Amino acid sequence: MAAWRDSHPLSGTFRGAFSAYGYLFLFLGTAVAAIVAREAEVIFVLLAAIILAGLSRSQALRLLARWQLWAFVLPTLALSPLLIGERDVHLWGLWFSQEGFWAGLWMVGRALCIALAAAVFTRSISVSQMAQLFEGLRLKGLGFALGVATNVLPTIQETMETSYQAMRLRGGFRTRRLRTLKLLLVALIAGSLRRGDDIVSAAESRAFDPDRSPGPLISPTRADLALAAGCGILAAALLLL
Amino acid sequence: MKFSVRELVYIAIFGAIWGAVELTMGSYLHVIFPPLAETFLVGLILASIGAVVALVGRHFVPRTGAVFMIGIVTAVLKMISIGGVKAGPLVAILAESLLMELGLFIARKPRRRGFVLAGVLAVAWNFFHKLIMMYILFGKGVYEVYVSMIQQGASLLRIDAAYALVIIVILFLIRIVAGGLSGWIAWDLGRVVRGRLAR
Repeated sequence: MAAWRDSHPLSGTFRGAFSAYGYLFLFLGTAVAAIVAREAEVIFVLLAAIILAGLSRSQALRLLARWQLWAFVLPTLALSPLLIGERDVHLWGLWFSQEGFWAGLWMVGRALCIALAAAVFTRSISVSQMAQLFEGLRLKGLGFALGVATNVLPTIQETMETSYQAMRLRGGFRTRRLRTLKLLLVALIAGSLRRGDDIVSAAESRAFDPDRSPGPLISPTRADLALAAGCGILAAALLLL
Repeated sequence: MKFSVRELVYIAIFGAIWGAVELTMGSYLHVIFPPLAETFLVGLILASIGAVVALVGRHFVPRTGAVFMIGIVTAVLKMISIGGVKAGPLVAILAESLLMELGLFIARKPRRRGFVLAGVLAVAWNFFHKLIMMYILFGKGVYEVYVSMIQQGASLLRIDAAYALVIIVILFLIRIVAGGLSGWIAWDLGRVVRGRLAR
């Protein structure tokens, strides 16, 4: 699966300077800065988020072209002048609130910052890097569990579909639906666990030890630490100013 | 947290089952129900089934942290799925698994009431999920929008705004009952599956 493949090392580039920790700091830093930013300050955070996204993972900017995002954002922009504050401006036969308009705009700016930072984080690190990140947080064996899960997922989905169709064709869901759903789950879980025993045998026969890490643990680079410090300073400045 | 190979494989399997439920059933439900029903109905159904799967998993991996690990596996599978990354479901899955851990930790020994408590806590999260996510994303101003919408909607329909509060309480109670039922069913299902595997 492509998601498992680590991105090629891009030494000398902006993207290559950061490890998974860097992207985690970037996400947390942007989220915190967006939350503590007051009113127009959020524009600076949004600009910083857009620039960093463009430099580190420009694909993340495609988020701004998704209709689902705008279906979420536009109603907020449209409703805030009608619902927040005192309506003091008369426009196109309707009374709007200036305070509400600005409040809606800052809310939307803040939401865009967080959504963009999340998109950069999830698009920049692979599943194996994420597993290493968790292993570094003392969740030993999670990388192995993730590998097994991605391998068994298609089989489980297929079994689920087949069992569901078999039960439906036998009229299982016509009456006593909850009981049928329980039977479906029992069949699915029991079948999957039987298959799991084969995986356990295979892993044990190869002397697999979950305590041994699958690869070198990720450690923060200088650029990661500099980014963390930058995010911290920005958040502190927003909080104090 | 140290798990044996068998426990890790079981964690992976239960994570994959929960992930499969989220991916297949989630897609169907999102198509069937309108977007506004997402939190109220789709989220409730997915959270209830997810709680059942994760708690049955706890039967087979009776150790602290197992349900949280199952939740992490599910969240990562959801993240790399075709639908793309959505922060809402990821936060919901992780929060539900953490709350289930909390419920099981409070109950200490694995017993039915512990499973029921874990189920209640996990599914009850579904009620607060949207509010918390909206607060994180939009800030406290969004509550002003909601309250104003309720007041204006109530006056438009010529009903008392207090009825909105009653509806909110009912929605919350539905989640409590669904969560309790999930825990209750998970306790039974775990035993049934164990019995079937022993055959």
